[in-house]
Amino acid sequence: MEYDKILSDILGREDFLVVGKNVVRTDALDKALGKAMYTADYVPRGTTLLKVYRSTVPHARIKSVDTAEALELPGVEAIYTGADVTGNNQIGYALPDQPFLNDEKVHYIGDPVALVCARDEYALEKAFQKISVEYEELPAMLDIDVSLSEDAVDIHEGGNIALTTRIRKGDAEKGFSEADVEVEETYWSPYQDHMYIETEAAYAVPEHGKVTVICNGQSPFLVREKVAHVLGWSLNQVRIIQALAGGAFGGKDDQGPLVSAYAAFAATKLGKPVALVWDRPESVSYSNKRFPARIKYRSGATEEGKVTAVEVDITLECGAYANRSPFWLWRQTAHAAGPYEVDNCSVDGRAVYTNKVYGGSFRGFGDLALHFAAETQMERLAYELSMDPIEFRLRNVLKVGSRTTCDQVLDHSVGLEQCLKAVRDASDWSSHREPVWEGSKVRGYGVGLAYHGISTSRSTPDWSAASILLNQDGSLTYRTGIVEIGQGSPFGHIKIVSEIIGVPPENIRIELPDTDSTLNAKPTHGSRGLMLGGTAAAKAALTLRENMVACASELFEVPYERIALVEGRAYDKEDPETSVSVRELAEEMYNRGYDPGAYGYFKAPKRFFDPETGLGVNYSVYTFAATVGEVEVDTETGETSVIRVWPAMDCGKAIDPLMIEGQIEGSISQGMGFALMENMELKDGLVINPGFKDYIVPSSMDTPQIEPCIIVEEPYRHGAFGAKGVGEPAIISVVPTITSAIHHATGLWFNTIPVRPWTMHKALKEAEP
Amino acid sequence: MEISFELNGEPVTVTVEPYMSLVDMLRAEMDVKSVKKGCEQGECGACTLLIDGAPVTSCLVLAPQVEGRHVTTIEGLEKNSLMIDLREAFIENGAVQCGFCTPGMLLSAYALLRDNPHPSMEEVKMGIEGNICRCTGFTKIIEAILDAVERIAPE
Ligand code: FES
Ligand code: FES
Repeated sequence: MEYDKILSDILGREDFLVVGKNVVRTDALDKALGKAMYTADYVPRGTTLLKVYRSTVPHARIKSVDTAEALELPGVEAIYTGADVTGNNQIGYALPDQPFLNDEKVHYIGDPVALVCARDEYALEKAFQKISVEYEELPAMLDIDVSLSEDAVDIHEGGNIALTTRIRKGDAEKGFSEADVEVEETYWSPYQDHMYIETEAAYAVPEHGKVTVICNGQSPFLVREKVAHVLGWSLNQVRIIQALAGGAFGGKDDQGPLVSAYAAFAATKLGKPVALVWDRPESVSYSNKRFPARIKYRSGATEEGKVTAVEVDITLECGAYANRSPFWLWRQTAHAAGPYEVDNCSVDGRAVYTNKVYGGSFRGFGDLALHFAAETQMERLAYELSMDPIEFRLRNVLKVGSRTTCDQVLDHSVGLEQCLKAVRDASDWSSHREPVWEGSKVRGYGVGLAYHGISTSRSTPDWSAASILLNQDGSLTYRTGIVEIGQGSPFGHIKIVSEIIGVPPENIRIELPDTDSTLNAKPTHGSRGLMLGGTAAAKAALTLRENMVACASELFEVPYERIALVEGRAYDKEDPETSVSVRELAEEMYNRGYDPGAYGYFKAPKRFFDPETGLGVNYSVYTFAATVGEVEVDTETGETSVIRVWPAMDCGKAIDPLMIEGQIEGSISQGMGFALMENMELKDGLVINPGFKDYIVPSSMDTPQIEPCIIVEEPYRHGAFGAKGVGEPAIISVVPTITSAIHHATGLWFNTIPVRPWTMHKALKEAEP
Repeated sequence: MEISFELNGEPVTVTVEPYMSLVDMLRAEMDVKSVKKGCEQGECGACTLLIDGAPVTSCLVLAPQVEGRHVTTIEGLEKNSLMIDLREAFIENGAVQCGFCTPGMLLSAYALLRDNPHPSMEEVKMGIEGNICRCTGFTKIIEAILDAVERIAPE
């Protein structure tokens, strides 16, 4: 069915009552009272603590692990190594390259070698000092070029290339022969840490043949699968309860299964509850980061301003394990030309192992690095052609009917052009085409665009499920496996439910995802939580609505079509006096045999791609964004500040404009951090700035003025009310907007981020005549 | 060792190891879970509380240091009118996303407005400089604090 027409076709209304309005989030009060519970808050006093003992060398064979002395210490309860794993000692996400506990080899500083259980932190610390591991060190591959060199040592069996990708669309060489200008550059975007304020944690409680884990992942069902796999148990022996997460941004999608498996494994072995809460240095040093990427990019355009070809070569640094790299790299490959229609594309990608902390999911996925490269190329082409950067982009942007890099035809829901024109006008772009100096400071304007496929990558089947129960007193219980990580997606679901069944959101309680009672909604990633999860919610609500309407129609003795459900009441449209409250209706439904529970299952339309050419339908739909930004560069100190940002986004349908703004503002901050401040420093494979003190993230003082987000609504036909995902697309255009504004202000191009004060200072010095 | 102090207006006595941090004492020994731990390095502000009215990162305070002093966490201000204004402003302005920074952030904002009821935007930013929020990008938090200023009932 075409879900963007629910309002007119099923609800028979012209206006939304809840959707599209700013409604106060039902979870905000508990959070503001300090009563909201996060994983570590569930751990009772006296619970056995678990800490992961990790390798101290980047690449080595393990010769022996000696835990005997540590086990003698008072307060130390158990120490487990790979030898104790009776299920499967493997926890790799996409490829089976990641041991649960390393017993043969270690691949980065931080690889788990043993799990230590003790009564308190002091005993843990003492035990750590007494464990000794004998290594036979191997040459450490600490750079992608070293890993790819002739005499490289293999990190995993099969070599240092985890996988490759490719796209061949049209004829790139022919495209370049038609071009009047060409630019070719190489871009580097580094690690970024999520720096969620709540670190990774899990609390596991065993019982006979079963284990319950409270954790802060992003995909409770993936967590269940991995825990069961490691234990060698069936899925119904593992119960995952997903607590509220104190920020996740993708990182906890990857770490959730790991921390939960460590805790569950130790708890079942020990036969008592076990808690694992990472400290900040552990979180920064050892959990997955944004994958670094080197992108070599060649593009050509005609004098008229039409891009004729791109040739893109992507080398993704996996670090020690492939983790999500097949999906990350594929996303970069499939989006390689940027949000433009380019007839001739040649794209090659490879994911390369190194002996460093592994990369993984992070807001925006591979599209951040990709757009930094693609958008800077557009900027350079515009410059070469002496064309206005916005005008140049407008000649190439994706529109309805355009074909993407992977030849997917966009038949509807493409609002990029409107976004770009809107930010151009809102920022009064044409009046700001000259940099403005004041003393040693100079200001400039820049622009960036983004598109981001919504759904899982690599055309894996994508679906979601949800359930609603109408209780006898008219209150409702909503269950979704989509998790609350700050983004408020489950709250978006109940707004959709509320709109459909006419019950206010505050009457609908969102239960924590619990794999024993919640339907599988698949992961909360890929910005799919609202689109996929919300559409499953809509389907459940439509079923429940049918039952409510049927019961009311029997009760009032009027035909179905005359029943309206609004504001917690059912009434006869022709005689509004004839009405019942949802409470009375619920009671009647139970008594008259109308099903008070409903579940919804939604499967996204099929996608596919040809493995040879990479061409096909890769994503269900795309969200589009455009931003204009103003930056100020202090040419004396080299410091760059973001002054003002004008964001616009085509999100299909804005279910909650205030929450969308919140996602955009948070993204601007994280994108600004990535572009100007954040940098992981590694020395010989060891992270040397594992905390907020040396890994600088934006503070309140860095907050720019963010203009009201311009929302463009080009509904997606197959999703509830037409909504598309928001959380990730918001960050993608931020980085190139900033670097483009820097170029406008200073004339300097930066192919590597972050542009920190000393980098800027040096570049300004070098550019001096 | 034994420590006596006032927690949210109530006299309390606890026995702890002398090297335990205040945040650990509150969370582990006294079940006060609104005080969050984000870094234990005094850098994120999640563990912010008030000691004798002044905002402090409790991960850097040793438990024995609060002997004889007044410790206030967000629970202690639940019915305080300034905190109610702030809380409502946070909720209505969308300043709460994951909520993990929120108790600490609200306490810093409370101390700011208590001492300076009409802060400029710059002063608001400075007042919460020690509290990191990774979700909101601060915009809505700053707006919420300025909105709370409007809500404070005139004396
Ligand atoms: S936990 Fe105290 S400042 Fe971060
Ligand atoms: S709301 Fe998540 S850290 Fe502030």
